[in-house]
Amino acid sequence: MIQCKECGATQYEGALFCSECGRFLMEDSHKATDVLPFSDYGHRPPPPPPDDFKLETTPGIKTITFVIPHSRHRHMLELSGQIRVGRSGSETDDFPELDLTDEDGAELGVSRLHATIQWSNHGLVLMDLESTNGTMLNNYRLPAKRPYPLHSGDEIRFGDLLVHVFFD
Amino acid sequence: MSGETTYYSILGLPSNAQPEAVREAFASHVARFPSEAQDDPEYQKLLQAYEVLNDPDRRAIYDSLIAEMAPSPLIVNIQLSRTKLPIAASPQVFYLLVEVNPPRQSAQLRRPLNLCLVLDRSTSMQGQRLDFLKTAVELVVEKLAPEDVISIVTFSDRAEVVQAATHLTSRNAIISRVRSIRASGGTEIYHGLLAGVEQLQQTPLSQYNNHLILLTDGHTYGDIQDCIDLSVRAAGQRIGISAFGLGDEWNDNFLDKLVSASGGQSAFIEDPAQIVNHLQQRIKGLGLIHARNLRLKKELPSQLTLQYGFKLLPFAQPLEASGSEIKLGNIEGKGALSFLLELTLQPQSHELRLSIPLELTADIPGRNLKDQTFKNPVQILVTANPLETAPPKDLVKAVRMLNMYRMNEKVWEEIEAGNVGVAATRMQHLTTRLLEAGEIKLAQQAHAETERLTRVGSLSPEGWKRLKYGTRAMIGETVRMESDDSV
Repeated sequence: MIQCKECGATQYEGALFCSECGRFLMEDSHKATDVLPFSDYGHRPPPPPPDDFKLETTPGIKTITFVIPHSRHRHMLELSGQIRVGRSGSETDDFPELDLTDEDGAELGVSRLHATIQWSNHGLVLMDLESTNGTMLNNYRLPAKRPYPLHSGDEIRFGDLLVHVFFD
Repeated sequence: MSGETTYYSILGLPSNAQPEAVREAFASHVARFPSEAQDDPEYQKLLQAYEVLNDPDRRAIYDSLIAEMAPSPLIVNIQLSRTKLPIAASPQVFYLLVEVNPPRQSAQLRRPLNLCLVLDRSTSMQGQRLDFLKTAVELVVEKLAPEDVISIVTFSDRAEVVQAATHLTSRNAIISRVRSIRASGGTEIYHGLLAGVEQLQQTPLSQYNNHLILLTDGHTYGDIQDCIDLSVRAAGQRIGISAFGLGDEWNDNFLDKLVSASGGQSAFIEDPAQIVNHLQQRIKGLGLIHARNLRLKKELPSQLTLQYGFKLLPFAQPLEASGSEIKLGNIEGKGALSFLLELTLQPQSHELRLSIPLELTADIPGRNLKDQTFKNPVQILVTANPLETAPPKDLVKAVRMLNMYRMNEKVWEEIEAGNVGVAATRMQHLTTRLLEAGEIKLAQQAHAETERLTRVGSLSPEGWKRLKYGTRAMIGETVRMESDDSV
């Protein structure tokens, strides 16, 4: 698999143009042989979060849209406080704000409490909560318990479940 | 024209001449010789030609002999984006660009046309649309050759045969019937198609180029599957179907499906004044068919999957790739037919040589060949360290244009799935790519649709069709320019 340098979409090797954004992919192809999403490439640590990082309670944006290509579902969530990502369990009545139970979350390796998305002085941030199968952001595996800035259009994998995130 | 002498050329006949024509030709030629000319070598040749062609069994043997001697009636040229692929643990993709040409010296034989025009006369056609349509039909009637057969059917809530299948003997009578068409009622395409196919069947189908052209400006309700089933049956009887949509209210996916069984054309006519052009263009192509009912056997090694097929020439049209055969339609005149295939290779762990059979089947009317097969196997090598070679330029260009067309299709899919945000992002990307390609008008349209998507969460029906058929036409034009360059 190769990654489009412009939009980050995963493309088959040998594709001439990115199916998502239309970019010509041939320049990238020679160095991009067979990098699987969960291979070495994905284990490289992301840049560290800035030193002056702190969470804020009044978000600068109102809603976030999560698009799940697997099911073609779309979830729009209000951002007030934190958005927990995970699965609802039958034994608890605690529902995460982004509930991936119906997205085959269990089969695709989403933990009950997998990650959170919150507002900070550096904008929206994603944090893995020591999930079993990990969280990937644009194919970087995130270290647990560390906030990482999100941008609109980012691709997140909770376990094996791919989610696109959009906000203004 | 080929300079070879055949029994056909001695008698001055096309190779598909009817038995009566053989007798008539012989009678007219033999009259030139005085009765004492028995030993004249010319006379002997004439007699020999007549004796062979007048005997169905001997003629069949002779036909197969000249078919073997003649150069292959189809010249196939195949380009691949890669011929060597690396061993990889993930799927890979590659492209095939196939161009099929008639030989340079092919005899241009015009086979008579058996044409049925199936015209929408629903209320919405009233005014300019119907006026231009009538003018276009009149021009067609005037242009057709005397040996052609035409029939005209109109439909609204039901179908009416305006002109039953007839030779072009009294053009004025046909034209005055066309002029009497009035608009009223709804749009039920199936009845019109059925009546049209029935009219075509009045003529011996094996001796003609049979084609139905549908012109509509509306949606049909409840009978879509009937229409598609009918188009499949018609294709089995060598009846081709082309479909033109007028305005912005018709169902583009339906028209694409309707023509796919026979490899016909579907197109969007935005401005009624263009009806004339579209119709004439189509009929010109139909008159000069070198190969008919061309189809590709979808036979692939198990490691390969066909993802997508798209015809580029003589017109750009997505191909229906779900069956065991891909219908490619006809090779019109001296022009090429070309198509692009996108294939994926399953993950591989060993070196491997794969052969893609690429078996084409076609009828070559000019040589009396039916269901002739042409094998053009292509080899792919899966190896540990393939050398990188740049893909052919023509192929890259075609894929680039096709990718834009597909980006537009995906916008629609995302909207259908409720992902308006993704759809808007896609449309924005498409705008950029269209601009880069110098397609300013289409880029402006894409930009307007992006704004519309963000604002109201939907596309405008006319904007959508403009983009769909605009990007489609762009593919055809790019490829046509390329093939002109190479001549």
